[in-house]
Amino acid sequence: MGMPGPEDPTADGGEPRTEPLDGADEVPDFRAARRHVLIELLRFTAQLRSEGVDVPTSGSLDAARSLAVMGLNDRRRVEDALRATLLSATADETVFESAFDTFWHRLRSGLSAVGADHDGPTAGDADEDSPDGPDTATPADDPGVLEDASPPELDGSDGGDVDVRIPTERRHVTGDRPAETGDDDARRFSAVGSRQRIDAETAQLGRTEIDAINRFVDALSTVPGRRRRRSETGDRIAARRALRSSLATGGAPIELPDTGPVPSELRCCLLVDVSGSVLDTIDRSVLLAFAERLHAGARRASVFLFDTDLVEATPQFERANGDPAAALREAEVEWGGGTQIGTAFETLRRQHPHALDRRTVVVVVSDGLDVGDPDTLADGITWLAGRAGTLVWLNPLAVSPEFEPRSRGMSTVEPYLDALFGFAEPADLAEAARQIEQRGLGRRVGYEFDARLSGGRAGGTE
Amino acid sequence: MTRQAFASVTESDLEERFEAAEYVADDRTVTTVQLALTLGRPLLVEGPPGSGKTELGKVLASAFETELIRLQCYEGLTAENALYEWNYTKQLLAVQADEGTVAGDAAVAPNDSANRGSVFGEEFLLERPLLRALTAGGDTPPVLLVDEIDRADEEFEAFLLELLSDFQVSIPEYGTVSAEQPPVVVLTSNRTRGLSDALKRRCLYLHVEPPSFQNEFEIVRRKVPELDVAVAAEVCAVVDRLREEAFLKQPGVAETLDWARAVAQLRRGEEARPLSTDEIERTLGCLLKEAEDLDRIDTELLENLQAAASAADERIEA
Repeated sequence: MGMPGPEDPTADGGEPRTEPLDGADEVPDFRAARRHVLIELLRFTAQLRSEGVDVPTSGSLDAARSLAVMGLNDRRRVEDALRATLLSATADETVFESAFDTFWHRLRSGLSAVGADHDGPTAGDADEDSPDGPDTATPADDPGVLEDASPPELDGSDGGDVDVRIPTERRHVTGDRPAETGDDDARRFSAVGSRQRIDAETAQLGRTEIDAINRFVDALSTVPGRRRRRSETGDRIAARRALRSSLATGGAPIELPDTGPVPSELRCCLLVDVSGSVLDTIDRSVLLAFAERLHAGARRASVFLFDTDLVEATPQFERANGDPAAALREAEVEWGGGTQIGTAFETLRRQHPHALDRRTVVVVVSDGLDVGDPDTLADGITWLAGRAGTLVWLNPLAVSPEFEPRSRGMSTVEPYLDALFGFAEPADLAEAARQIEQRGLGRRVGYEFDARLSGGRAGGTE
Repeated sequence: MTRQAFASVTESDLEERFEAAEYVADDRTVTTVQLALTLGRPLLVEGPPGSGKTELGKVLASAFETELIRLQCYEGLTAENALYEWNYTKQLLAVQADEGTVAGDAAVAPNDSANRGSVFGEEFLLERPLLRALTAGGDTPPVLLVDEIDRADEEFEAFLLELLSDFQVSIPEYGTVSAEQPPVVVLTSNRTRGLSDALKRRCLYLHVEPPSFQNEFEIVRRKVPELDVAVAAEVCAVVDRLREEAFLKQPGVAETLDWARAVAQLRRGEEARPLSTDEIERTLGCLLKEAEDLDRIDTELLENLQAAASAADERIEA
């Protein structure tokens, strides 16, 4: 069901009125009044939506029903009723509160206007026989309200732009230099390279891209999920099947089929290099969208961003609601500094030792261009490889056919990796997943076995 | 009280019942609960730990004198734990004794003669909380409390959808079980992860916040009657002041009650006297549960707390 148009609720809006009302005497029993309430309600819902509140599709219906129960006289009760039906997250309360004032004012003033209009003719039959649209009884009120009500009720595409403080730059593997944002006051200097606020929007991934990421998550899965299947060495008896097979032996359960859990879940620790060099080579919004999907797809995923130091971003991704960029901006996480991978691993080891265990798959997204101490990096990667179940490195530079892990950082970490893949767009992950599915991790998988490269890869896609 | 009676419950009636059950609720809670009852919708309660979410479910059950069916969620919770399971041992014995067959057909009504003798009958069904909530007899529908839904995995959440929207569940061998009297459903969540839109759409939403000083004082006075009233006010004032600090784990109502009980216990048999800084410091473990938070307590903060305590009298409304 789509968002009902302004006319719909007036057409089927008998519902709120015909229910046994506790506040029936308070709701003015006019078509126009009802129409006014519903239109204001829809307009209010639309405004909430356009300001980014996630109002359920059926929210306005529920809200209308709840108003029928609560009546329209007590501001607090109306507010609470709408809060319960239209909101589903605490974060939305501020928007709600600021928008409610206007709604309440319009609702009450409109109602008293309608009431005044009708005071005279109620004795007659004026308002009962005006079946639809051009309601002669309220010439001044309705048409204007209707016109106003329709525009803001879309998906908030216009509202989305307002929120963005810094213009988006899309950068691709071609390595465009970052454009100056001119936002100097937001910048801060670090040891190497200067950082800036998170300046990307979250990319809207297409179906195939999401599938590619999900496939990658599935291919890496190591943790037993809740689904079970027939298994020779399972740990539980399949009671239903045992019962059926016992029929052949007169009810004596001789054959006991087992079931075992399917490894369908991923426990993952994602380390994303957000140094300037990586951000220049990979589309930022795709990077964030990838992290978001991975976080959502895995049963448990911790996300860390690092350049010269390491920040845990798991809470932001948990609250992201599909838009991690906004969540990170809000948390004032910055990115785009220099790279000290060794230091970042060291911080992980000291501050978040429980982010990984032997079943955790560690996914590092980094170009390996390290400017820190090589010994620190060697120590860090040794600990990481020993501690994690699997260590997968995604290098944005490795999508190029000429790539060799020769840089100081890459040559240090390369021996410890279970797999090293190129990653510039989700399609690369589908290729990685294909290799892992076919050959398993630790065997002949990696950027050098990318079928697309040997087949002459022109435009970056197949 | 039947479901119809629930549908016509008024705000004042609800307030009285909460009052009788010693539950101090703010206006928003009362309105939202009233809506959930009148519209027959599940109620999703979110809020920090210790803010009385679970208590709300319990109080609803006791206030309406009905059964409370509680399902605690956890990761890996399966339909067998939550909904139903077949009594396999009994089934096996029935088959061995040649009393039953496994021929079962959900298309035929469970008690139809074609299904007579099947081991997939009602007597072989073990009811778990969700099924019990649907089949519970009695005049008043039970209160189903699905606690900490955010701890169960998303698959389980999806599985709840049929139950929450239609108050029915489908069992493959048996058929569809629907509730004669839909239960009153309360779901609680600590927001450790986001819930799916599909679930949220089906529920009314209530966010519980830490109570105001006045409400909290009321709660402590009722739940810890052994504590002197003036000291109870001081206790609440201290907690209220503590909540202004940026602690990792803010003390909830549950902690306040713990602390009030602790203070009452330590002073058993003594005469009422104001809280001292020393007393506050020694018992802070009841309120703050993180080492970092306890480290932040210094002399200055303690003195501030004591000052808040001594000003408590004036804050109580006559």
